[in-house]
Amino acid sequence: MNNKLETFVKENRRSFDIMEPTPALWAKIEEKLDQKKEKKPIQLYLWMSVAAAIVVVFGLGWLYAGRMQNGAIEIADVNAVYAKKEVQFAGLIIEKRDSLAIFASANPELYKKFTADLKKLDEEYERLKNELPTSPNQTFVVKAIVKNREIQLQLLKQQLLIINQVDDYKKVNQI
Amino acid sequence: MQGSRAAQFDLYKLYARAMYNVALRILNYEEEAEDVLQESFLDAFTRIVDFRQETTFGLWLKQIVINKSINYLRKRKMEFVSTDEVSEVPDEESFDDYDTRLQVEEVRKAITELPDGYRVVLSLYLLEGYDHEEISHILKISENTSRTQYMRAKKKLKSILEQKGMRDE
Repeated sequence: MNNKLETFVKENRRSFDIMEPTPALWAKIEEKLDQKKEKKPIQLYLWMSVAAAIVVVFGLGWLYAGRMQNGAIEIADVNAVYAKKEVQFAGLIIEKRDSLAIFASANPELYKKFTADLKKLDEEYERLKNELPTSPNQTFVVKAIVKNREIQLQLLKQQLLIINQVDDYKKVNQI
Repeated sequence: MQGSRAAQFDLYKLYARAMYNVALRILNYEEEAEDVLQESFLDAFTRIVDFRQETTFGLWLKQIVINKSINYLRKRKMEFVSTDEVSEVPDEESFDDYDTRLQVEEVRKAITELPDGYRVVLSLYLLEGYDHEEISHILKISENTSRTQYMRAKKKLKSILEQKGMRDE
C-alpha cells in the first residue's frame, strides 16, 4: 500500500491548521464568562432568601400553633436558661422537703410552722404561674418564679439546719 | 477563583486556532466550529479545577473540542457505521505520479469533500494523531469499523485528489 499521502499529511500536520476563527469570538466568550460570574451570586441570594422565607413561615406557624394549642405557657417558652434553673431548684426542693418530713414526727410544732411558711411561697408560686400566659412582660414573671423557687430552697435549707440543731439538742437533753 | 481574564486570553490566543481547525475538520461548517470553540473554552475555563496535570492543557482542551464536535455531528444524525455509500475506488496506485505536486491546501480541501464519517475518522487518525483504539472510544464504534472507515476514506481522498489533478491539467 502506498503511504506517501499518509506520511505527507502526518509530516505537515500543523500546516493544515490554516483556518482562523472570527476575531469577534473572544469577545463573545468574554461576555459569557462575565454572565456566568454574575449569575452565581444572584442564584445564591435567591436560594438564601427562599430558605430564609421557609424558615420564617415555619417558625411563625409553629409559634402560632403553640400559642393556640395551650394557653398555658411553660417557662421554657420564655427563657430556656431560667427554665433549667427552675427545674434544678424544684428537684432540690423536693429533696429537702423529704428530709424535713423525716423530722416531722419528732417536732410536730416546728414542722407545722415551717410548712406554713412554705405554703405561702407555694401560693405565690402558683399565682405567678397562672399570671405567666397573660402577662405583658413574661420574662419578668419567669424571673419572679425562679426567684420564688430559690427563696423556697434557701428557706428549706435554713429550716433543715434549725430542725437538725433542735433535734440534736433534744437528744443531748434526753441523755 | 477562575484565574485572571488576561491568563484566559493568553490560553485562548495559544489554542484557539488549532482547536478551531480540529472542530472544523470534524464539522466542516465554520459556524458550528465557532460555536464548539466558544463552548469548549467556556467549559474549560469554568471547569479548570477539574483539570488534572496528567495531560497538558492543550490535550485536555482538544478532548473537549472533539467531544463537543462529535455531539454536534450526531445531532445532524450522522452514523459512524461502515456503509457502501461511496462507490469503491479502483485499487491501482497512481498516487506516485501525483505526490510531487502535492500541496497542503489541495489535500485540506479534498478532505472537506469527504463524507462526514470518512472525514472524521481520517482527520482523527491522520491529523489529530489518535490510533484506531482511541478513535473507537471517541466515536463509540468498533476498532474494526474505524480501520475500514479509514481505509475507505484514504482511498476516496486519493481519488478526489486524482480527479482534481486531472482537472487542473
